[in-house]
Amino acid sequence: MAQINLQNVNKSFGPGVPLAVNDLTLTIEDGEFLVLLGPSGCGKTTTLRMIAGLERQTTGDIRIGERVVNDLRPGDRDIAFVFQFYALYPHLSVRDNIAFPLKAQNLPTEEVNRRVMDVAERLRITHILKSNPGRLPGGEQQRVALGRAMVRQPQAFLMDEPLTNLDASLRADMRVELKHLQHTLGTTMVYVTHDQIEAMSMSHRIAVMDRGVLQQVDTPLNIYRHPQTLFVATFIGSPPMNIVHGRMVGARFVAGDGQFWVELPPAARQYTQHDKRVSFGIRAEDITVGAPGGAGMAGNVVVREPLGDETVYVVSVAGKTLTAKTPPRIRFNPGENVSVKLDPAAIHLFDGDSGRALLPEGWSKHV
Amino acid sequence: MDTTGRGRPRFSWLTDRWLAGLFVSPTLIILLFIAIYPLIWSLSASFTDRTLLSRPDQINSVGFENYVDLLNDNRAWQRFVVTAQIVVPSVLIELLLGFAVAMLLNRKFGGRGVIMTVILIPMMLSPVVVALFWRFMMQGDGILNYYIQALGGQPVLWLSSPSVIPWSVVLVDVWMWTPFMMLIALAGLSAVPKYLYEAAEVDRAGAWFRFRHITLPIVTPLLMIGIIFRTMDAYKMIDTIFVLVGDRGGAGRAAQTAGLYVYDTAIKGFDTGVGSAYGYIMLVVIIALANLLIRQLNKVKG
Amino acid sequence: MRIAKQAGFYVLLGLVLIFFTFPLYWIVASSFKERADVISSVPKLVPFVDFTPTTNNYRDIFFRAETTTGEGSTVSASADVSGFRDRLVNSVIITGASTLLAVFFGTLTAYAVSRFTIPLESDLMFFVLSTRMLPPIVVLIPVFVLFNDLGLRDSYFGLILLYTSFNLPFVVWIMKGFFDEIPREYEEAAMMDGYSRFQAIYKIVIPEAIPAMAATAVFSIIVSWNEFVLANFLNRDAASTVPPYLNSIIGVGAVEWGRLAAASVVFVLPVVVFTFLVRNHLLRGVTFGAVRR
Repeated sequence: MAQINLQNVNKSFGPGVPLAVNDLTLTIEDGEFLVLLGPSGCGKTTTLRMIAGLERQTTGDIRIGERVVNDLRPGDRDIAFVFQFYALYPHLSVRDNIAFPLKAQNLPTEEVNRRVMDVAERLRITHILKSNPGRLPGGEQQRVALGRAMVRQPQAFLMDEPLTNLDASLRADMRVELKHLQHTLGTTMVYVTHDQIEAMSMSHRIAVMDRGVLQQVDTPLNIYRHPQTLFVATFIGSPPMNIVHGRMVGARFVAGDGQFWVELPPAARQYTQHDKRVSFGIRAEDITVGAPGGAGMAGNVVVREPLGDETVYVVSVAGKTLTAKTPPRIRFNPGENVSVKLDPAAIHLFDGDSGRALLPEGWSKHV
Repeated sequence: MDTTGRGRPRFSWLTDRWLAGLFVSPTLIILLFIAIYPLIWSLSASFTDRTLLSRPDQINSVGFENYVDLLNDNRAWQRFVVTAQIVVPSVLIELLLGFAVAMLLNRKFGGRGVIMTVILIPMMLSPVVVALFWRFMMQGDGILNYYIQALGGQPVLWLSSPSVIPWSVVLVDVWMWTPFMMLIALAGLSAVPKYLYEAAEVDRAGAWFRFRHITLPIVTPLLMIGIIFRTMDAYKMIDTIFVLVGDRGGAGRAAQTAGLYVYDTAIKGFDTGVGSAYGYIMLVVIIALANLLIRQLNKVKG
Repeated sequence: MRIAKQAGFYVLLGLVLIFFTFPLYWIVASSFKERADVISSVPKLVPFVDFTPTTNNYRDIFFRAETTTGEGSTVSASADVSGFRDRLVNSVIITGASTLLAVFFGTLTAYAVSRFTIPLESDLMFFVLSTRMLPPIVVLIPVFVLFNDLGLRDSYFGLILLYTSFNLPFVVWIMKGFFDEIPREYEEAAMMDGYSRFQAIYKIVIPEAIPAMAATAVFSIIVSWNEFVLANFLNRDAASTVPPYLNSIIGVGAVEWGRLAAASVVFVLPVVVFTFLVRNHLLRGVTFGAVRR
């Protein structure tokens, strides 16, 4: 078990190409389940591969435990990697695939057999040990790949989108199982995915990356509730947070030709100034749709999406489109006029230039 | 950079960069030696009067004389005309015939696999053997003329009449290389997704329309690749003609192509300087031709 | 209507088959004929009916030191000194050695190009390919002079080197295509498990690539085996191969077509066997990997 530490790590794939990873400093605690989350090309997989030693960082240091591992070969870093496409050796049986890392270390045969059986029982794959991995269904291949990683009892697991190739129901099962496994083994886990549900449901902390830059590292709930950048705000959550670009006029946020405006609660006013360009954000569940003439702004229903447990409304308000989530019993039809009320304690403001959040955590206690 | 980690790797010197160099260099050295060295040698030789057996002190520079002489020499140009007379009909017939055979074979029938492979054998054979087979069959009293006469025709002077010889070469080339075009066309035909035909059928498109607007556009880029390969190979081919009708291209040099002319000048005529210059002219022509064809390929690829 | 269509298909198929296979049949048939049957002006098509098969031609090319070629022509004289058997051995040695070298070096290069970042990679690959566009006749003159100076004419080594260089571009291109299709995660997984890159290559990648290497080797074998132009001018005596030999038998005067046919059949037989072995890779093989299906 070990802590993993990246200090000012940069990765360049050649001159003229933007940095794949840009000045990344991140510490993954011993026993932590950390998810690297971001869209494709954000640098999350490169980061994982640098920790593994499959790529060499251009500058910066990587430590696993107390060791600087910059110049260690992947095999000498004492970590296991689970690949997206499993990378099971097609010419070896399941048993030999799992035993492979131990045999590569020349462990005695009894020891190898004992540990392979142990892992196979834990993953419930003893019945397929003699099979050829190529013929197994995706879920079982996945378990074999996990087995190959677990059998080494490494300092850390690195996983690169391991569930992407499974179908939806299997993926949900494996999420639970992986989380449980990591909990019982207590091994540090770095897990790369672009799927925010995986990230939210499994991790202790999420590190969100975009274009090579680390955006925010925090617990899933904090990432959701207090996004530190506009990118995190729009990337996390479904439907994504409503964002309206505009600027401040006194204590009001104003967008477009002035038709759309929101009066900021007093507790928020100190964090911005008159005429500053800002982006205003609010999550769909913090918008209430009501009968016309009620409190809030006047709006008009564009689309209704009944989802069963809740209903999503897309409403047009003063030339802007907002998405709202309501309990299913509230019913409006497309074209109907409604009133739209925003929860003042749940608003977000982002700097119009840098995209950084303007309101500090906890500001709304005073609303 | 901090390299204080414990347990330095045993093969730290064998980095990926090192391996890359180690793996690439033998190939690079061999190819430089066998491709670049001859090119430079030929280029310098083409500006001299050297012969095959000249000693170094007997070689004199002649400037562009060899090139000027060749460009003013009608016979030298004539060799390119002969080359075209053989290359163009060969490639065209192979294209059409290969495509037709591919259309024929693009269905399920018993023994398809074996029949396909048998048809593909000619292109795998040595040109020498193929030319020998045909030379045997094209003898004045050979089997071809026997059947032509049996069907009431006049015997053909396949290997001795200057007006027929180029066509004999074309026939042999077509026999040998039509399978190549067929193979490529077949790959194209099997790449056409079936649902496109089904959609066209739903839209009540006729057979010709389907061929013209579904089959051809998908197959054309592949056929273009085939044409490029065949044109290049036919252009530099000398062995088949050499064996079929002799190293001067037969009676009246009827099939003396550019390649054979280089051989005749540089090797048989010992005139290495002129031969090298002619070889370079050939090279310029083939590079221009390749560029033209590849541009065409990119155009049909869209 | 349907039956007419079916019949039409089989008639066309029959014509195609006759066109492509008759010359093959004719040479095989001729190789089993006595001299009189070979040169008979009425074609003798069917064995046991039109002619009595004999294996004399095969016996002659293998076990008679001298092959007579009619009026003792000077052109063929040199080719006949060592006979068919020796040429066959030469062909096997030169083809085998050049194929081994080309596949070995070419596979290494292909792996490097497929897996590592190499400066000017696409230029390198284009250079490798462009060497194949050179007309052999242009290469022949300098090589002739060079080999003369180095004493490499009429040696195994000279032709082996040439054929290796001929096949290298092919091997590099084809094997790169194959390596690109082998997920690099295999090696990476092995490296995570404690192998060095080098061990991962020969314990994981090479076993995966063996079938592709075998198919590639077969294509190299066929190219080297069949080559005529360079062999004919560079290796005329001790290290001469079969194709120039076959050509040299047709000198002036009467040709021993029966023996020539027998020699051709023996020479061609391995090629036919190999063609069947690699039939599923033919398309890729003959187009340098440009067409893959």
